[in-house]
Amino acid sequence: MSEPTPAVPVVEMKSITKVFPSVRALENVSIAFRAGEVHGLIGENGAGKSTLMRILCGVKVPTSGELLLRGEPIQLHGPADAERRGISMIHQELNVVGELSVAENILLGHEPTTGGLIRRSRMEAEARELLDGIGCTIDPWRLVKHLSIAEQQMVEIAKALSHKADVFIMDEPTAVLTQREVALLMKLIRDLRSRGAAIIYISHILPEVRDICDRVTVLRDGAVVHTFDSLAGVTEHDLANAMVGREMSEQFPPRPEVGQEAVFEATDITVPGKVEGVSFAVRKGEIFGFAGLIGAGRTELAEAIACLRHRTAGTVKVEGQEITARTAREAVRQGIAYLSEDRRGTGLVMGMNLIENTTLVSLRNYSRLLIRSGEEREATMGHIRALATKIGRLEEDVGTLSGGNQQKIALAKWLETKPKVLILDEPTRGIDVGAKAEIYRLIHELTAQGMICLVISSEMNELLGLCHRIAVMRDGHLRGVLDGTTATDREVMRVAAGVEGTGATL
Amino acid sequence: MSETPAIPDRKWTALLPSWTGALAALVLLVVVTTAMNRTFISGENIFNILRQWSFVGIIALGMTFVIILGGIDLSVGSLVAFAGGVGVLMLNTVLEAPKLIAEYDAAVQAAATHLPCSGFRYALAKLFTSLGMAGSEGAAVALAFLLIVLVASLSGLLTGTLITKGRLAPFIATLGGLAAYRSLSLAIADGGEYRSASAGAFKAIGTGGIPIPGTNLAPNAAVPVPLLIPWPVLVFILLAVLAHILLTRTRFGRYVVAVGCNERAAVYSAVNVNRIKLLTYVLTGFLVGVAALLLSSRMNSVSSSGTGLFYELDVIAAVVIGGTSMSGGKGTVIGTVIGVLILGVVGNMLNMLQVSPYLQGLVKGLIIIAAVLVQRRPGKEE
Repeated sequence: MSEPTPAVPVVEMKSITKVFPSVRALENVSIAFRAGEVHGLIGENGAGKSTLMRILCGVKVPTSGELLLRGEPIQLHGPADAERRGISMIHQELNVVGELSVAENILLGHEPTTGGLIRRSRMEAEARELLDGIGCTIDPWRLVKHLSIAEQQMVEIAKALSHKADVFIMDEPTAVLTQREVALLMKLIRDLRSRGAAIIYISHILPEVRDICDRVTVLRDGAVVHTFDSLAGVTEHDLANAMVGREMSEQFPPRPEVGQEAVFEATDITVPGKVEGVSFAVRKGEIFGFAGLIGAGRTELAEAIACLRHRTAGTVKVEGQEITARTAREAVRQGIAYLSEDRRGTGLVMGMNLIENTTLVSLRNYSRLLIRSGEEREATMGHIRALATKIGRLEEDVGTLSGGNQQKIALAKWLETKPKVLILDEPTRGIDVGAKAEIYRLIHELTAQGMICLVISSEMNELLGLCHRIAVMRDGHLRGVLDGTTATDREVMRVAAGVEGTGATL
Repeated sequence: MSETPAIPDRKWTALLPSWTGALAALVLLVVVTTAMNRTFISGENIFNILRQWSFVGIIALGMTFVIILGGIDLSVGSLVAFAGGVGVLMLNTVLEAPKLIAEYDAAVQAAATHLPCSGFRYALAKLFTSLGMAGSEGAAVALAFLLIVLVASLSGLLTGTLITKGRLAPFIATLGGLAAYRSLSLAIADGGEYRSASAGAFKAIGTGGIPIPGTNLAPNAAVPVPLLIPWPVLVFILLAVLAHILLTRTRFGRYVVAVGCNERAAVYSAVNVNRIKLLTYVLTGFLVGVAALLLSSRMNSVSSSGTGLFYELDVIAAVVIGGTSMSGGKGTVIGTVIGVLILGVVGNMLNMLQVSPYLQGLVKGLIIIAAVLVQRRPGKEE
């Protein structure tokens, strides 16, 4: 390992800008990563962390800007190229081959061979040496699929070391680990640091960031908003503050009046391993929000209510009436609509046109034996007008629309079913400010008309600007319900990230 | 903005239906073949080709739905032989009931080691006799036809159940069917053929047709022989129209496309995906039954080893040539019909050019590959 020169950072990203067809994901971002340091990268979902790291590990090419490796400007041609140059990404979803052994995984692609045949003894020796180096005692011949997630992560790190990596990118590495495994990983990170590696640590879990990192860069809306050059005296609250501390940029209409009676009651909703006995009640005219980190169980809760996911316990009452639905179809019939967070994967059918998507759930209303295409067309046109959707032709593939207009079609699809309860999961993810404001206005209108709107969002200011009350989930539990009119981002973040002293009550 | 602005810079070809290319190829083939041999375009030849390919065509209608759904059905060819065989066997059991009973009784009395038929068929013969059906041509044919369609539809139900409830990959489930139905057919017929004992009623629909007035195929004969539009062709056309409407104008068709495009999104849109899948395979089974009915009637027999052999390949080829995407979500019935016609015309052309039958498979294979390569281009740009 060459002597790290403190003056020159191992990796420097200079004025990186990345423009996607619809959004500017990164704007003039400059960060330097030094040898022998753990550099934290934090920011809200969509702040640009992943895009930045994808550029660094060669998956994406920046629109403009420069990448310097040990002071030399470089261009990366794919992840394999980045790996060859010593930049290794430990993925959130681990990149190991389950059917192969530990040794085979570690040395995948550069197995020691003689005359084209793999030399198993040398392979074992090399793998063992790498594993020993990180204090890991797994048998090199065990199949990776039999290992725990933490052990698989060790294998990935050993694999990275086999490429002589000295830059490690870790994206939410502790998300899938137990407490004890986290401690092991932290020890390993410190080892790597003392050997002169640069570690880039991405996490939503602020106490961890606070403990392990030497410096922290905060991204927001694709730009660096703050860099903590030393964490001495910095608290998790300071980090949370830096993450979400923007001014409310969107215009939120005033919140509608809230009545007294509960119109929606969920009691003891349980989905094993995902949602643990969640209960809440929504009052008439109230917009009810859900905050939480990725994996907190919010989507699973919504899916359980919409009967898209099996729940082992729990009842749902709408206006005093128990929802007895067991299938998604029955749930729709009983007035429950769930706008999914993943437009491309589950929200819309890409490849089908605007009409077909709009009436997909309510098609029964437009057909007896044959579909009455005239009526169907008219209804679609009505929604498109009401939601101010910008389209070309009704017959065009929904995939050709921009994110905001796609979302309006997805909304139209559910409004078509005339629901009593509308669950909106990340309703403004990846859409522009104008469309956002229209969706906020729509949520207000629908609530005023008596529809019950539950809003799941990872955008803090959206929840704070829109909702009367915000339920915060963590690890499948409802950890607190905050008053949306008085709560601050920091309070919500504290409960969501599990910082001590939640202080919130149900 | 609610008015419809001009379509933004998109190629005009994107607005053509997906089967335009296949239709152009068909027209070209017809022109070339006619130029090479004028007899190709004669009514007699055309109807011959159509009848010959109507069986594959009818099954291809069902396969279009299966492939749009994102599935595949390899069992169709074997199922033709099995369902047809069962039908003819029942036909003969009814027609020959008295003879069967007599022979069986005699054999039992003589304590013969080899019985003329299974106890099951003997019991059925007794049953039909007691129902007063024995020997009745009409009852026998009706029962046979009903049974063929029923057996095939139930097989479709079984396939669909294996795929939905059993969570088997369609390829695997129907590969099993491909082997199993052929084997069953061979076992029951002991490797031979099921020849109908019907005096003529059974083969009427497969061989007959509607005469076209004013035509005469035998100008020198005393009685004029009019050109017939064969029944199988008429059934194929009728079913094709119905299938087209089913795919484009009904809820079922819409859901099939949705499931094929994005199964998860369909689930999230409260579509009962399993029911749609099940119905699609039952529909295909039913159409296989219709094809088996017409084919066994046309031949007045079913060969346990040869009938329907490699139909699955022709059927899938026709669907693919017609522009239906093997990855699902996209396809048309019109395209499939054109695909069937292309296969028919090419086969006929090769025969006319006296190309060795051994080489005809090569030509067919090249056409399939060329069709997919050509159709890959439009609509996939970006």
